[in-house]
Amino acid sequence: MKSQISALMDGELDAHELHEPLAALRDDEGARESWRTYHLISDALQGRALLSADCLHRVVARLAQEPILVAPHPSAVRPPERAPWFVPSALAAGVAAVALVGWLAFAPQQGAGPGPTPLAQAPAAPTIEAAKAPASVPLTTASRDYLLAHQAFSSRNSLLGLAPYVRSVSDDAAARKP
Amino acid sequence: MTRAIGAVLLCVAAGLAQAQAAPEALDWLRKIHQATEKLSYTGIFVYQQAGRTETSRISRLADADGGVEKLEVLDGPPREILRTRDEIRCYLPERQIVKVDRRRNQRDFPALLPEQVNALAEHYSITKHDVQRIAGYDCQVLVLAPRDNLRYGYQLWADLRTGMLLKARAFDANGQTVEQFTFTQLEIGSVPRERLRPLRAARNWRVEQAGVAPADLARSGWKVSPHLPGFRKIVEIRRMLSDTQPVGQVVYSDGLAAVSVFIEPIAGRTETARLGLASMGAVNVYTREVADHLVTVVGETPAASVQRIGDTVEYHRPQ
Repeated sequence: MKSQISALMDGELDAHELHEPLAALRDDEGARESWRTYHLISDALQGRALLSADCLHRVVARLAQEPILVAPHPSAVRPPERAPWFVPSALAAGVAAVALVGWLAFAPQQGAGPGPTPLAQAPAAPTIEAAKAPASVPLTTASRDYLLAHQAFSSRNSLLGLAPYVRSVSDDAAARKP
Repeated sequence: MTRAIGAVLLCVAAGLAQAQAAPEALDWLRKIHQATEKLSYTGIFVYQQAGRTETSRISRLADADGGVEKLEVLDGPPREILRTRDEIRCYLPERQIVKVDRRRNQRDFPALLPEQVNALAEHYSITKHDVQRIAGYDCQVLVLAPRDNLRYGYQLWADLRTGMLLKARAFDANGQTVEQFTFTQLEIGSVPRERLRPLRAARNWRVEQAGVAPADLARSGWKVSPHLPGFRKIVEIRRMLSDTQPVGQVVYSDGLAAVSVFIEPIAGRTETARLGLASMGAVNVYTREVADHLVTVVGETPAASVQRIGDTVEYHRPQ
């Protein structure tokens, strides 16, 4: 069934083959879970924002709690603004508070922080946010010593053998002559 | 506000996503792991990262003593790495140095064990895909998509017959490739032993021993709290990085990606440290200063994860 769902997602099924997977998606939670997982993987591979994991249930549950506004009144019925500090704690109430606050504190850093930077890239100009987003610096020859020392403990060796070690000796010349 | 809810939902979703993976996909990971231990092979692979490519030859001879493996970089200066069961030798001709890392037992080189393969499904969604041809081999495609943004995802191409990995791609949260290993030519089977000998006469080169010994950094007043779900401490040691002074190293791993925290006194360093973030393919390096010590976090994880671990390092003078 999973292969059929995958094929359905990829648009590879003919009209007469649709009935079975669609029925499974209607009746079988396992099939729906596969459908969501495949979309998650597809999103990850194609660079779309990862929102497909288990968000569906949460969004549906939250929507169910929302009051239904038949006719929206722009400003008159808007609830009073909450103080900003209240927002995270209120949201955290229903879920694991510690993990949540930790994650929220972490999120802006990730957004502001530089992605993987190419070796030869010049160090980033200092900015006001320097405390949150550390400077991008080139790898030095000494950094290779860290990479080599780290590599021995990488579990990826279990899949790739010696190949990942290439990082610790890679581009030596480029590291010295940026 | 809406974004905050979105972020919270995403977080909760990632946390609650049920660990599930097709058993056959897990079997494939075991098969790949066994291939790295049991096969003899020699081949050419290309390493790509940040728009750069580098070609290397890798040879492995399986034998009763755990095998011998050699990596030769074919572009630029001829660097080499030779690995046996209990020793890694790295030949750096430009610096005229041989770096030697010797271990007392096999346990010191952590491998992906069968029981850890099952645990991987907690943090990665592991799925089997189609069959694609790489360097003449029909390969099974596997995808390990991370369930959070603390680690990279992986796409693997493994030979249908032997399980040998022909290609591996690491991708970030946007699906962008951060690094890729691809064999362009590979022969599986008997490998002549002379292929595994170090080519260069390195007799007069300086030998730098890692001198690895167990350590207890907490006793010296150091506190490292990884705070990354799924990452557990696998080793805590003292070692030499170059010929200067001992460095503390603590390693955390989620079974696939590992993060090392190095701690060393700034006073004894010969080279000025560059504080900040650097990267090499899927490896990010974060350096900061804590209590007159240099803290360097090296991990096969996104920059934010190594930074997060690095920022938890604290020093309190022991009583």
